[in-house]
Amino acid sequence: MPKYAMVIDQSRCVGCMACVVACKRENHVPPEQYRTRVLEMVNGEFPRLKSEMRSELCNHCDHAPCVTVCPTGASHKEDDGTVQIDRRKCVGCKACIAACPYNARYINEEHGYADKCSFCQHRLRAGKKPACVATCIGQSRIFGDIDDPNSEVSRMLRDNSYRVLKKAAGTRPNVYYINQFPKKS
Amino acid sequence: MAGSFDRFWISSTKEDVMAFSRRNFLKYAAMSAGGTLLAETPFLSARAREKAEGGNVRYVPTTCEMCFWKCGVIAKVVGGEVVKLEGNPLHPQSRGRLCARGQAGIGLLYDKDRLKVPMIRTGPRGENRYKQASWDEALGYVADKLKGVEDKYGPEAVALFAHGSPGTYFNNVVRGMGSANVAYPSFAQCLGAREVAWELTYGQGPNSTCERVDLANSRVIVLFGTHLGENMHNSQTQEFAEAVGRGAKIISVDPRYSTAASKASMWLPIKPGTDLALLLTWINIIISEGWYDKEYVEKYTTGFEELKKEVKSYTPAWAAQETDLPMRQIVESVRDLGRYAPNVMLHPGRHFSWHGNDVQRGRAMAIVNALLGTWGRPGGIWLPPKVNLAGFSENPEHPKANKDAVVFGDYPFAGGEGLTQVLRETTIKGDPYPIKAWIVAGTNLIKTMPKPDLTRRAIDNLDLLVAVDVMPTDTVMMADVILPEATYLERHDGLFTITTREAGIALRQPAVAPMYQSKPAWWIGSELCKKMGLEQYAVKDTWEGRMRRQAKKWGIGFDELADTGYVAIPGSAAPYITATNQPVFKTPSKKIELVSSELEEEDFDVIPKYEPIEQPKKGEYRLLYGRSPVHTFTRTVNNQWLWELKKENEVWLNKKEADRIGVKNGEIVRLENQDRVVSEPVRVRATERIRRDCVFMIHGFGQHSPAMSRAYNRGADDQKLITRYKVDPICGSTGMRVNFVKIIKEA
Amino acid sequence: MELTITGANAITFPILHIWDWRVAIYLFLGGLTGGLMTMSAVANLRPGKVVPRDQPCCWRIPLIAPILLSLGMFFLFLDLELKSHMFWFYLTFQPLSPMSWGSWLLILIYPPMILYAFAVLPDELKSGMADGFIKRFADRMRPHLLRLARINFVCGILLAIYTGILLSTFVARPLWNSAILPVLFLVSGMSTGTALMIIMARKNEVKLFFTKVDIWLIFTEIMVLLLLFYGHYTSDAVHRLAIMPFFNTSHQFFPYFLSIVFLGIFLPLAIVLKFLEVTGDHSVELTPSGKFLMNASAVLVLLGGLVVRFALVYAGQLSGYGGIM
Ligand SMILES: Nc1nc2c(c(=O)[nH]1)N[C@H]1C(S)=C(S)[C@@H](COP(=O)(O)OP(=O)(O)OC[C@H]3O[C@@H](n4cnc5c(=O)[nH]c(N)nc54)[C@H](O)[C@@H]3O)O[C@H]1N2
Ligand SMILES: Nc1nc2c(c(=O)[nH]1)N[C@H]1C(S)=C(S)[C@@H](COP(=O)(O)OP(=O)(O)OC[C@H]3O[C@@H](n4cnc5c(=O)[nH]c(N)nc54)[C@H](O)[C@@H]3O)O[C@H]1N2
Ligand code: SF4
Ligand code: SF4
Ligand code: SF4
Ligand code: SF4
Ligand code: SF4
Ligand SMILES: [Mo]
Repeated sequence: MPKYAMVIDQSRCVGCMACVVACKRENHVPPEQYRTRVLEMVNGEFPRLKSEMRSELCNHCDHAPCVTVCPTGASHKEDDGTVQIDRRKCVGCKACIAACPYNARYINEEHGYADKCSFCQHRLRAGKKPACVATCIGQSRIFGDIDDPNSEVSRMLRDNSYRVLKKAAGTRPNVYYINQFPKKS
Repeated sequence: MAGSFDRFWISSTKEDVMAFSRRNFLKYAAMSAGGTLLAETPFLSARAREKAEGGNVRYVPTTCEMCFWKCGVIAKVVGGEVVKLEGNPLHPQSRGRLCARGQAGIGLLYDKDRLKVPMIRTGPRGENRYKQASWDEALGYVADKLKGVEDKYGPEAVALFAHGSPGTYFNNVVRGMGSANVAYPSFAQCLGAREVAWELTYGQGPNSTCERVDLANSRVIVLFGTHLGENMHNSQTQEFAEAVGRGAKIISVDPRYSTAASKASMWLPIKPGTDLALLLTWINIIISEGWYDKEYVEKYTTGFEELKKEVKSYTPAWAAQETDLPMRQIVESVRDLGRYAPNVMLHPGRHFSWHGNDVQRGRAMAIVNALLGTWGRPGGIWLPPKVNLAGFSENPEHPKANKDAVVFGDYPFAGGEGLTQVLRETTIKGDPYPIKAWIVAGTNLIKTMPKPDLTRRAIDNLDLLVAVDVMPTDTVMMADVILPEATYLERHDGLFTITTREAGIALRQPAVAPMYQSKPAWWIGSELCKKMGLEQYAVKDTWEGRMRRQAKKWGIGFDELADTGYVAIPGSAAPYITATNQPVFKTPSKKIELVSSELEEEDFDVIPKYEPIEQPKKGEYRLLYGRSPVHTFTRTVNNQWLWELKKENEVWLNKKEADRIGVKNGEIVRLENQDRVVSEPVRVRATERIRRDCVFMIHGFGQHSPAMSRAYNRGADDQKLITRYKVDPICGSTGMRVNFVKIIKEA
Repeated sequence: MELTITGANAITFPILHIWDWRVAIYLFLGGLTGGLMTMSAVANLRPGKVVPRDQPCCWRIPLIAPILLSLGMFFLFLDLELKSHMFWFYLTFQPLSPMSWGSWLLILIYPPMILYAFAVLPDELKSGMADGFIKRFADRMRPHLLRLARINFVCGILLAIYTGILLSTFVARPLWNSAILPVLFLVSGMSTGTALMIIMARKNEVKLFFTKVDIWLIFTEIMVLLLLFYGHYTSDAVHRLAIMPFFNTSHQFFPYFLSIVFLGIFLPLAIVLKFLEVTGDHSVELTPSGKFLMNASAVLVLLGGLVVRFALVYAGQLSGYGGIM
């Protein structure tokens, strides 16, 4: 079984939001709700500024607090390493939303269940990359099997120093960030 | 991190850096999937994919029209509904990816506010009183009115304003009647000055559907304004990110810390309007320090010695003062260029009508590129593909215009797309002859042209205003007759010749049938011709039929094209100069003209000269504007999926200035310009990301048409504040960054 | 820093707001029920006393408790986004999910609670009844009264603690994520339970007994509350930030500031009032004004318990883990 992971090369994110819209259309996310977002941060004082751009989504944590708190087992970890929600079982108690340190979840306003990024599991099964990855204009999002040493994600992590978000939360994310700042040559 | 640099680096000096051909792309796609589970079957054919997926899914390759980049789209249709749009991997403008706007095309198709039926105005102009009409009635009405105008004032009294694909089909009406008064904002309000500057220098512009910039292989990329990332032209931004990712040096010259500046290794926050001072100083340094490509200059250019003399006086110290940039940065940046030349570029830019001296700024940029030898070099400006497609027409030639067109004004280098503002002026003055009818197709003139009160005054003078559009925009709601076009997902257009590194053919074809009573522009134009007694210009059968015949003439299988969305023309790519692939310069001297002979003939400066422009008075800020990555001007502001990402614009104001005048971040203010025009209320974005002497807004907001339910009254309209513009004397484009505003606190 | 986020969900940005008054009331009623179970058990188990079975606080409270608990669960139910999927709570047991074992705990608590209510039914009431199922069942339960009381005593504590554990397990919400929170909810539940006992009690002696108990509970509650704040204050930045709303007078956080003022005045006031009562001369019957003060202080305690739940439920959602990094 593969173990899916995403590597996000921050230096290549151009903040175009193509991922945000693609995800919404692919996954029928209701108006004004999102499975993924893009952050732009600028530090410093004119004219010495430094910036960071980053897309965020569910980290498909290995120690996922959202799974732990779920009273019905609707939120669960799957063999492919992804964290998924079984919509039939979800009672909409929202505990998982409070439990996620990354604010990755929301309640689908049209249907009531908790929802979040699924790593586009339906596309993976059809042999396609996640919708946000497929359209990423900057190719900032890279996706693959982290257990396969030859996969692009594995190579990226081998060749670069990386970090995960809120490491101290102990969630063991499967979304990795590299090249936080634009590279200076 | 050094590792990643090596890995992504494509040696740009090797001759074999190939164009991004279809085969390369496929190889790349397979490679990036890592040969694992995600070995995505590359898209080769819509039919094949449908078959593989089974069910009632249809895939329709077509062309995006959410902006003018013309990306290849594959529409996924389930049960007659377009559910998803994806980039066509075969198409070089999209390479399998779509930007946010392209992804949101469905939002336009299913926008409840769309124009649905033909309408004829019943109340006074601008009061939104219309009656629905059948197509027959509406087109009959238009034809009668046009004939009335023709009888009374002559055919030249009928004018066409257009942008994007719909304009093509109304040319037949207007030109067929015998008028040559056709104008596109894409010249005077957009890239006209750039094209002219490069044509004067190289005999050819850097292209308009796609700048021929080899970003992917460049080592130093200089951006003047050109805010890639926010200026979201798909493949170009993809290549820009690629360049950033491999560690290319980006130098961003921009008074604002744009997305591109945030990716740059050097940000030059230049005083607006002083770019030419920087450029001339660079030219001086390049020459005096010997950074220029001697062989190249020798072989391909004329006027070097004269140029050398002329720029001597432009010293770094002087430029530092003029541009408000540190001298060190001015010198270091150009040395970087020199060091890595010729695999470098000054990006030619796109929206170029800034301050009214724009052709000369463009000339200076073209000259820097020439000195560094970037034209025809990897990482520079690639050479156009070699393609020779026969012209195709099924209609007789248009008659010679009854009277000379007014659309070129007195500007010797006004381009073939015409000057919108001159056409407007003539409409107001009636001189040299009256203009009494406008057909406006695919442009939102009131928001697109500077000094919108003049646009309104011109419209007041009209006997007929016909709008062919998809949304009830401000301009549309002034029209006498509104003709609802089908969106790009519902119609045929094209065939399109796509010239990137290679040449290819793409098409637009409907993913679904037109909704409501909307019709494709080709049909509207054709029917109008018939009603006008111009049957000879009508489409023979259907546009698809015509496309098939055209494809046949070009030796392209239409069915294959319809199945793949893009067909490359083999062997057309020849991007770089080699012994056998020499560049052709269509200038009078057949060389790159550092000193322009054509300008000499018309008595303009043959080498750009710096003249300071007016700067804001104390307490005033220069009004700058630009793009949001999720919107295209006014055309997307009502789109659900984009609206929700950016509902209104803000006015960017330097934080220290904000503190000084006592406005807080997020506070709602109004702007008042030098002519006492006051903006709609707008939120302040107090930011370190902009100079203290200017403010910045995203163009396209502040819709006044209540029929645009989401966009109505959201944000502020920059155009309203652009009550002055400075016309470039060479080409007649309208510099629009010459307005100054004060900030007024809301009581 | 200048931060722009595109694509944030209103439910989590700029602040989390998933749970509202419904959950606050559920937690309050849960704690109160716990307190009532435990305290009514205490009333029936008071050492050295004859069980004053005719005392309303001894038999009415056990009757009220399941009703209050059901009401609490009803509020929780109101909060569920997919009410029709409710049954899934009971088709599964998730050993690591506090909410899962909470839902089972609530179910398991009902039987002892109800049996207890039967067991304490006073004889006068039963004698007025027809010889039906209720009467016969009550008679059957009577011999088990003390055992049931003991079980209820324990269940009450579990229930009150549980309401706090539910919140304290959220690592992502620093204000809640404290081992002191369950203790606070336990003490607060007990004190509110005791307060209601005082109000319901008729006999002076019983009223006074529970007043004394409540003094200790409120005192502990205040101490635990202070400890909670102190613990957060001395912890890392996110925890320190988490209690900030309570000490910020700005418009945005005013309700939180007010809640602290409220607790800071009313709980000590309640102690003082109660202290005055228990130290007073009670050789004679309670005067009406004495009774009023006693009940008033009990009401203050109940309100205090409600404020604690509301303040913590809402303020906890203002706190987040580790900023944006
Ligand atoms: N998302 C999106 N992308 C688009 C479009 C869109 O509508 N939406 N439109 C497309 C079209 S048609 C065009 S023409 C292009 C236009 O896009 P560009 O060609 O990139 O436009 P510019 O005017 O060069 O860039 C605007 C930037 O110039 C800076 N600027 C302003 N004044 C000065 C100055 O005096 N000197 C310098 N150096 N910089 C200055 C501003 O701060 C701003 O960051 O975008 C295209 N891309
Ligand atoms: N103040 C200010 N003015 C500017 C600019 C600026 O940045 N600031 N930018 C300038 C530049 S670079 C440019 S290129 C121009 C752009 O100017 P325009 O092309 O006029 O730009 P839009 O506002 O997008 O207006 C497009 C119109 O076409 C309609 N439309 C969209 N799709 C279709 C279709 O399929 N069929 C038909 N029939 N209509 C359609 C839309 O509803 C809208 O009314 O504006 C220029 N003017
Ligand atoms: S990011 Fe949040 S929602 Fe996703 S697995 Fe981790 S804790 Fe759960
Ligand atoms: S909202 Fe649904 S998925 Fe989330 S914890 Fe509750 S039942 Fe589980
Ligand atoms: S992987 Fe799929 S669901 Fe997740 S953010 Fe990307 S597009 Fe959305
Ligand atoms: S699509 Fe890619 S480049 Fe664009 S915002 Fe998303 S992650 Fe960044
Ligand atoms: S750049 Fe975006 S909006 Fe423009 S044509 Fe391409 S996908 Fe469409
Ligand atoms: Mo443009």
